[in-house]
Amino acid sequence: MPVIQFILDLGASVMLPLIIFVMGIAFGLKAGRAFRAGVTIGVGFVGIGLVIGLLTGSLGPAAQAMVERFGIQLNVLDVGWPAAAAIAFASQVGAVVIPVGLLVNLVMLLTRTTQTLNIDLWNFWHFAFTGALVTEATGKLWLGVAAAAVNAAIILKLADWTAKPIQEFYGVPGISLPHGLSAAYVPIAIPLNALIDRIPVVRDIDLDTAKIQQRLGVFGDPMMLGLLLGIALGLLAGYSVQETLQLGVSMAAVMLLMPRMVRLLMEGLMPVSEAAREYLRRRFQGREFYIGLDSAVAVGHPASIATALILVPVTLLLAVIVPGNRLLPFGDLATIPFVVCMIAPIVRGNVFRSVLIGMVAITVGLLMSTSVASLHTAAAIAAQFDIPAGAAEISSIGDGANPLTWVLLQLSRLFQ
Amino acid sequence: MNRKRVVVACGTGIATSTVVAEKVAEACRREGIDVDIIQCKATEVATHAPGASLVVATTTIATPVSVPVINAIGFLTGVGEEELSRRIIEALKD
Repeated sequence: MPVIQFILDLGASVMLPLIIFVMGIAFGLKAGRAFRAGVTIGVGFVGIGLVIGLLTGSLGPAAQAMVERFGIQLNVLDVGWPAAAAIAFASQVGAVVIPVGLLVNLVMLLTRTTQTLNIDLWNFWHFAFTGALVTEATGKLWLGVAAAAVNAAIILKLADWTAKPIQEFYGVPGISLPHGLSAAYVPIAIPLNALIDRIPVVRDIDLDTAKIQQRLGVFGDPMMLGLLLGIALGLLAGYSVQETLQLGVSMAAVMLLMPRMVRLLMEGLMPVSEAAREYLRRRFQGREFYIGLDSAVAVGHPASIATALILVPVTLLLAVIVPGNRLLPFGDLATIPFVVCMIAPIVRGNVFRSVLIGMVAITVGLLMSTSVASLHTAAAIAAQFDIPAGAAEISSIGDGANPLTWVLLQLSRLFQ
Repeated sequence: MNRKRVVVACGTGIATSTVVAEKVAEACRREGIDVDIIQCKATEVATHAPGASLVVATTTIATPVSVPVINAIGFLTGVGEEELSRRIIEALKD
């Protein structure tokens, strides 16, 4: 079909606006509003491309120089979830993930296999990401779409199971969190928490959240974190003072600008997401269900913040000492709250426990994100992001280190 | 009339706060209230709150702030949206 090929060849910055426009019209938006939404997404996509260019262009050579000087094999760049989300939405699976995700939710609601009505369309990118990696790995688009659908279904079940503790812990009645990254750590956290319960002394330890926030606050400020890491890497790479300072400011820029670009994608998706929400609510009027939201509503809690602050330096340390890891953590150091925010209610806000469980999750995650690096890079290139030839590979923690994504990817290879 | 400042916060300062910021802006436009909206992370509220009239958040604000805080999860779920808009407008009017 030459028409489809023509559309795919347009690239994500043109294809996504078209898709959003069509979807907006389908959900009953006015043409002008749908068009504006589409163009906003296209602009966000171009912006993310620029920032990824800045990241790989300046951090890449520094990472390589560091590898040459010290033999620390951290040559896979962590581009962070904003880039991963853009790669996911720009993939072939991303083009259909919103209708597919909604369909899975509708079918599960109708068959009463879920109680969650997931109105957080933005986070469908997690499902698309799994699908995109599966498609890259197997070369089969249908397998990618199937993996995305299965991912969506599993996340809905996890949201159902965790709804009660989350509602109590965060004080959000009627809400569940079908979040592709946060919920994926629940199956790890439950057995580990049960294990800690059996260890005398250790089970009684807790940490003071206020003190942690006071002492480690700098790790919660992405811009300052970027600056510090940039300077540290410049020194490790043996750069001159000038080059080191330039790298520091460039990395501060990446940390600050990347989320701003993603905000444009969010803004563009918003009208469509609201229209879909209204449609679903009308369709299921009078039914009791949990409304599925972004786990961003949970990450402000002191337990999540304190855990994440501790895990930032811990992640950097683990990256150096875990054998086999090649990921240089960067963009997603700011994403750690999302890794831990659904662990916190399971351990009832005990920061010591969520740090322990988070360390296990991140150790395993570093190896997973290393192992998917070539697929992650291929997906980025397929999305027409400018990854300089011969440069370091890219990966991420969200969702390159997502255990559910990884498991689904391995399962999909069975169908090859 | 004075320009009022509203701080809109969520976990990331990107995701759900974008939705809420739009809603607050829309409600204020309707009522003819001139507002300046600052969108930020929950951890940054303490920095932005001085000088603001109101904090609207979708997540827990851990730090004590001197201005009223309104929880805006209703804008995300669509439950009680009008009531929420009304409370925000009232808080800004006096």
